[in-house]
Amino acid sequence: MSYLRVPLSAFAMVALLTGAFAEESRAQTKTKIKYALGDVISIDELPLLVAVERAKKRGVDVEITSFKSEEVATQAVINGQADVGQGTPYAAVQKVKTPIRFFYQMSALQFFPIVNKDHYKTWKDLNGQDIVVHARGSGTEAIMRLMAKEHGIEYKSVSFVPGSDVRALGLLKGTINASILDATNKNYVMKEAPGKFIVLPLGKVKASDEALFATHAFLEKNQAAVAVLVEELIRVSREINANPKSIVEERKKLGLLKDIPAKLEAEILPYFEEGVRNGIFPNDGGAEHAANNDLEFFKLSGSLKGDNLKVEDFWDLGPAKAALGKLK
Amino acid sequence: MTAGVSRGAPSPGAPGDARVPRPGITSSHLFWQLASFALFFGLWEIAGRWPVSAAFPPFSATFLALLHMIGDGSLGKAYLSTLQPLVIGIAICGVAGVGFGIGMGLSRTVEWLTLPIFIILQAAPMAAIIPLITYIYGIGLTSKVLAVIFLAAPVIVMNSYKGIRNTNPSLIQMCRSFQGTWRQEVVKIILPYAAALIFTGLRLGLAMGFIGVVIAELLITPTGIGDLITYHSSVADYPEMFAAISSIILIAAVSLHALERVEHRLFPAEIRGS
Repeated sequence: MSYLRVPLSAFAMVALLTGAFAEESRAQTKTKIKYALGDVISIDELPLLVAVERAKKRGVDVEITSFKSEEVATQAVINGQADVGQGTPYAAVQKVKTPIRFFYQMSALQFFPIVNKDHYKTWKDLNGQDIVVHARGSGTEAIMRLMAKEHGIEYKSVSFVPGSDVRALGLLKGTINASILDATNKNYVMKEAPGKFIVLPLGKVKASDEALFATHAFLEKNQAAVAVLVEELIRVSREINANPKSIVEERKKLGLLKDIPAKLEAEILPYFEEGVRNGIFPNDGGAEHAANNDLEFFKLSGSLKGDNLKVEDFWDLGPAKAALGKLK
Repeated sequence: MTAGVSRGAPSPGAPGDARVPRPGITSSHLFWQLASFALFFGLWEIAGRWPVSAAFPPFSATFLALLHMIGDGSLGKAYLSTLQPLVIGIAICGVAGVGFGIGMGLSRTVEWLTLPIFIILQAAPMAAIIPLITYIYGIGLTSKVLAVIFLAAPVIVMNSYKGIRNTNPSLIQMCRSFQGTWRQEVVKIILPYAAALIFTGLRLGLAMGFIGVVIAELLITPTGIGDLITYHSSVADYPEMFAAISSIILIAAVSLHALERVEHRLFPAEIRGS
């Protein structure tokens, strides 16, 4: 049977090469974006998950990796292990030599200063009192300091307890009497102990809570893939703003976050309704106004240093502009 | 029965002590130690300037940041906060842990009841367990002290226990043949013999305590040196972040080396088992 060996080997070689070329041609039409998320995937990531599913159908595969913190996600982008990161690492963008640019605002800050009614009722009552925020230099600290400035008060001490969920437990246990929580945990605390807490009024804080960033080189090289992702993100945001129920329906349709507990599932609609009411999901990807608000806010928080901060040193407005041009 | 085991042992520097270093060997030893430091810091400088990562600072920038943090008092203030749970935790382990170890060594019942707990604690991945402490004890000082105890106690207890159990049987026989009481056997034979291993346990316990306090400050609430690391990382002050990390490594290494020197002075090699 040795006379068969040569043609069979040749056939196998051709088949292998054909397969390889076919794979190559598929790879050319499909672009992969490695996406670094500095948090666990939860209900607030639903707009991203929907956009990722839709981008996939358009040939852009977005692979999301969940990291322990925003700092780790930022390091992944700086070191080239991830293409796109999510968060607001303005300090890193300013200090690290690798040029990194924000290009899309996912959502604006939505935090709620919350106090135990038995101890405090207004901002003035917090004068000379202890408050607890997420971390030194964080957005939550900046908001609380901004409010102290606005109301002419001074806190006795500012302690740091990372995680809204941990601070929520502290409030419920009575070890914390004044803090600041995200929407999900604010709702949880209000539901667990009705009438025990008050949400203090907050002026309009318009800075980014979550924004997308990537190296300048990646944005330059992968304009088409980035455009698809940004278009889909804007589309989802607009749908949510028009009708918050749309995200609940899309989740069901696409089978996203199937394993979340029923308690959390019930939080989805209230979270997005509240977000829409507070205008945290931009219809235009944030654009220049988001960039300007961020520079002002993160300078106040101490993350950004120096005067004459320029938008172009932090943001690449091109991808959002291109997407808006297409979507109208 | 007046002599403890450590008594009568040749002290360092005594005639005939093989461990007494000759001056020539000392300077050569010092040279190689300095050379290894120079090589390490040199490689760090090159790696930072190359750079291996845009966020990796060279040694010179880290050293300057360390000087700056010492100068502005932030490092000293951080250590005052960090040392609090460390000192409390090690003090508790020093008393209760050594006591437990001795109890386990002397009593089969105590050994039977508690040995498995310390073996499990020694093998358990503490970084995964420490956040659970907050569910019971909250986020205050108690949780951080417990983190130090959880890491340091198993080493201290097990060393004390082994020290007691490994007492030279011929010394115990000797005590008994001289009609020594059980109390004399424990106080004059077993405890002096176990002292070296108990001290080693305390030294290794302190090393684990340093790990525990840093993990607690990074995972529970950012205070002290953990706050400096977290804060400088979040605002991308990487030289300061590396300086804070280096400082705790330096302090831990110097403390442990000093304790090792004390140990070598107090206990002769044959007692230390080296």
